[in-house]
Amino acid sequence: MLFTFQNITYTLGTGPGRQITASGAVAEGSVLVVRGPSGAGKSTLLRVLARLQSCSGGEVFLQGESWRHLPATAWRARLHYLAQKPALFDGTVADNLAKPFETRQGSKNKFDPDRAKALMQELLLDANLWEQDSRTLSGGEAARIAFVRGLLIQPHVMLLDEPTAALDDQAREAFYGVLSRWLTGPGRAALLVSHNNDYKVLDRVSFLDIGPGQRGE
Amino acid sequence: MESATIPISNLQLAFTVVLVLITGAISSLLKLGLLRSLLWGTVRTFVQLTLVGYALTYIFKINNLWLIMAIITLMCFIASKTAVKRTPNVPNYPSLLAFVSLLASTYLVGSLVTVLIISPDPWYSARIAIPIFGMILGNSMNGIALSLDRLYSEARSRSAEIEAMLTFGATPWEAIRSSVREAVRAGMTPTINSLMVVGLVSLPGMMTGQILGGADPSEAVRYQIVVMLMIATAVAIGCLILVGLSYKKLFNEDGALQPFVLQSKK
Repeated sequence: MLFTFQNITYTLGTGPGRQITASGAVAEGSVLVVRGPSGAGKSTLLRVLARLQSCSGGEVFLQGESWRHLPATAWRARLHYLAQKPALFDGTVADNLAKPFETRQGSKNKFDPDRAKALMQELLLDANLWEQDSRTLSGGEAARIAFVRGLLIQPHVMLLDEPTAALDDQAREAFYGVLSRWLTGPGRAALLVSHNNDYKVLDRVSFLDIGPGQRGE
Repeated sequence: MESATIPISNLQLAFTVVLVLITGAISSLLKLGLLRSLLWGTVRTFVQLTLVGYALTYIFKINNLWLIMAIITLMCFIASKTAVKRTPNVPNYPSLLAFVSLLASTYLVGSLVTVLIISPDPWYSARIAIPIFGMILGNSMNGIALSLDRLYSEARSRSAEIEAMLTFGATPWEAIRSSVREAVRAGMTPTINSLMVVGLVSLPGMMTGQILGGADPSEAVRYQIVVMLMIATAVAIGCLILVGLSYKKLFNEDGALQPFVLQSKK
């Protein structure tokens, strides 16, 4: 298995909250769809796996390496968490796509504008958006730009939180097309939270159910 | 040119009560509910400044380096407590960090100005050091309070952007750098603004005091220039140190944003 998490225990809400324990694994080239009702803790699981939120127990392995053996910065560069409402920064779309490469971690790779433009085209984004102010983008455009930005980092695992929620049917189809092609690369997998069943277009999908009365497994 | 201070006798000082009566009359007439505070404030002003006057007379007379340092350190301590209280966006902030920032910036800039620029004899002259350090502290205290408050409010309002940076593999510093910049800018802006308008809108307190004390205005201006620039430097250093010491408190041990930063946005 490329990515495994065992007995990840985290709390929903503040104070005593509700405790969730989840385990799962995803093979190279596959997608693990995290299912459950609203408020079940699906997004929180992705955030915990991305080390954006702490958990009270559990172990995670990426390509056999424990998350305890990697600094959080290196871990997050390998597992890219794409939020449901991804943040864009002040500046143009091009500025936003180049943003990850301003960090010390990101500067190990070089920003490839041609690759970014090609991905934008595959995701049905107009080439003229390149110089457009990111604050003027629609929700669907912003979601796809953030997806492109994540792909450019070249992570091993994409943690996708409702990535198609703001997309129309055509854009969804394009999104899953790009995701499928990306998954064919070496050492890649994805975890997906989605309330739609649109992920059915993907090959090699497995499921993890979490929520009340479930012990995610 | 007259060079002596015109003394204010006790009787003349008592006449200032007339000013209090005018203010009190306005408060009563408009039912501002400030009369009690005004009277208490007046009493405190008389008592506190009189005591400070006696204390300074004694301290200037003794002129002991250790005593001067103890007083300045105590002033830093009080200023740090006050600064932290003026930050509504910052819950449970340890005033120790504010104390360290104020202590470092005040001693660094104050010593440079006292020893190298004014160069009194002896170099630690209480008559020079205490007012100089006091002016630095008064301004730095406001500056660091503004910076700290802005750092926390920026982190909350930009939490999504900060977190996005973290997902790229950014360090906490890289992720919050733009908020840090805004925080230091917020702390320094009042000082920079005062540099722009000094002498045009109002005469600064120190310069006015020197002129009233009989000093040559051109000499008072020289002092004021030194004071203004020293305050700007001390505020910049104080804000930078405090923000540098504080930003990590917004992140957990794994470099992720603390829940209180994220929750307050929802």
